[in-house]
Amino acid sequence: MIKIPTKVLLVDDEKDFIEMLSLRLTEVGEKITVAYSGQEALDTLEKADIDVVILDIKMPGMDGIETLREIKKQFPLVEVIMLTGHGSTETAVEGMKLGAFDYLMKPADFDDLLLKLEGARKRKDEQQERIRKAEAKLLVRKSGGIFS
Amino acid sequence: MKNIRLLLVDDEDNFRQTLAKRLAKKGIPPEQAENGEKALSILEKKEMDVVVLDVKMPGMDGIEVLRHIKKKHPGTEIIFLTGHAATQDGVDGIKRGAFDYLSKPVEFEHLLSKIKQAYDKVVREEEKLREAEFRKKMRQQMATTEKLASLGTLAAGVAHEINNPLAIINESAGWLKLIINRAEMAQMPRKQDFEMALNKIETGVDRAKRITHQLLGFAKKDDSVLVEINFRDMANEAAQLVHREATNKDIEIVQEIEPDIGTIWSDPYQLRQVLINLLTNAIHATGSGGKITIMIEALNGEINLTVQDNGQGIPTENLDKIFEPFFSTKPPGKGTGLGLFVTRGIVEKLCGTIEVKSRLGHGTRFCIRLPRYCEIKEDLDQDERIPFLDNIAKQKGSTQ
Ligand SMILES: Nc1ncnc2c1ncn2[C@@H]1O[C@H](COP(=O)(O)OP(=O)(O)O)[C@@H](O)[C@H]1O
Ligand SMILES: [Mg+2]
Ligand SMILES: [Mg+2]
Repeated sequence: MIKIPTKVLLVDDEKDFIEMLSLRLTEVGEKITVAYSGQEALDTLEKADIDVVILDIKMPGMDGIETLREIKKQFPLVEVIMLTGHGSTETAVEGMKLGAFDYLMKPADFDDLLLKLEGARKRKDEQQERIRKAEAKLLVRKSGGIFS
Repeated sequence: MKNIRLLLVDDEDNFRQTLAKRLAKKGIPPEQAENGEKALSILEKKEMDVVVLDVKMPGMDGIEVLRHIKKKHPGTEIIFLTGHAATQDGVDGIKRGAFDYLSKPVEFEHLLSKIKQAYDKVVREEEKLREAEFRKKMRQQMATTEKLASLGTLAAGVAHEINNPLAIINESAGWLKLIINRAEMAQMPRKQDFEMALNKIETGVDRAKRITHQLLGFAKKDDSVLVEINFRDMANEAAQLVHREATNKDIEIVQEIEPDIGTIWSDPYQLRQVLINLLTNAIHATGSGGKITIMIEALNGEINLTVQDNGQGIPTENLDKIFEPFFSTKPPGKGTGLGLFVTRGIVEKLCGTIEVKSRLGHGTRFCIRLPRYCEIKEDLDQDERIPFLDNIAKQKGSTQ
């Protein structure tokens, strides 16, 4: 069975971390793009087709929560998994309230990460599917209107 | 007034005995000594509140006796009895620390009231001493709490910073493992060595991760959420989370929760963490077939939460240390020594207290008291602390 790669955007100011996680995820067949700041992430999302963003909460400049808000506003279909180096689940919970799919604590368990990636990807696909169907229905109704 | 411990020292037997009788009638039966040496040996055996002391005595005179008493029994007050018109002796006595003096012949009522005054002073001084000791103890306790709190903040900060490099190590090792497991790497020379070392790196990271995550579990004050807590659910959840470990060791976890215990407002995640920490420790300390009990009961408007085991117990000399960060009797890799440190931090933040009772070889009981409602406050600053201390001192005073 050929795996359909998930298109992942990794966002963290920790370059070494991003680089290594990106290599590891690429190794298991995902398609990775990286960004080193919230702003860069938003710019990337403009251009590239992304399924899931893995987003560090603590970054200088625009932090993870702010970035999440912007992502959900501008790209509501993109799923986000929050990464936290912090023990406080509070910020992570805030992230979930803002529409993040899930969160992970650094250093994350890889299997856990893959599982959550898959879940996020699935949710995005389903969402897209629903939208497609709704649009199709709308189209049928519209065209029906024309003929009646 | 009844319990004034009084010593009467005078070489004139008649005078002394008559006085003693009259004092006894007034409810103050005194001990008696006919000279200074005898007086001091009585004081060696029994502390006195007040000594009524004749100045002119054969052998050791009053002034000499006074000096000894003041040195060895500083809490004892002395009333001098001086000869008629020998005011100088009395003044000398007061200079050396006597409470007062009366000149012979003594008017009984006068003496009685002097004794009472001297006794009042003894009581006051004792109270002052107790209060000073209490303050000193509180100050020491606060210093320790503060030290631990700032240590906690520092540790949490360090833990946070370490998680990032830890994550880099983790991903790097994980990536390498993926690579050497590829089909084209099957013939890689010394592949097993690589595998072994990479696994060691991963276990190492896991260990470090447990420490940092535990340290960070001691979250900051503003991270707390207050909700109404259902104890039954909370205890169930916590028991569920350690269930497997307990079953593996054939340990039974029993819950005794008062039926109409009600609810309290607190932080559910942190309370659950507290329970998990205590349960995990209890499981570690308890042998196969052991029993752990979670008890939750209401008491004087507070909640008592107890975790009790019938495990190995804690040696007395360790009881002071178990709440310190990094104190652990477990082998490296098994214990971090942070569980109880974090637990106490959480409990105190939730306005509660934690106590431990243990008998070596019989078991251990951790008892937490929580108020029904707690306003999670910033640390008290110095100004707020003093009235709090004063209140306690006042309460102590009024019960006497
Ligand atoms: N229920 C218990 N019975 C016996 N000893 C205990 C119990 N709970 C804690 N201790 C002792 O206190 C030490 C510190 O506990 P803790 O702070 O949780 O760290 P750790 O469990 O990682 O060692 C333990 O190593 C153990 O010696
Ligand atoms: Mg960061
Ligand atoms: Mg422990």
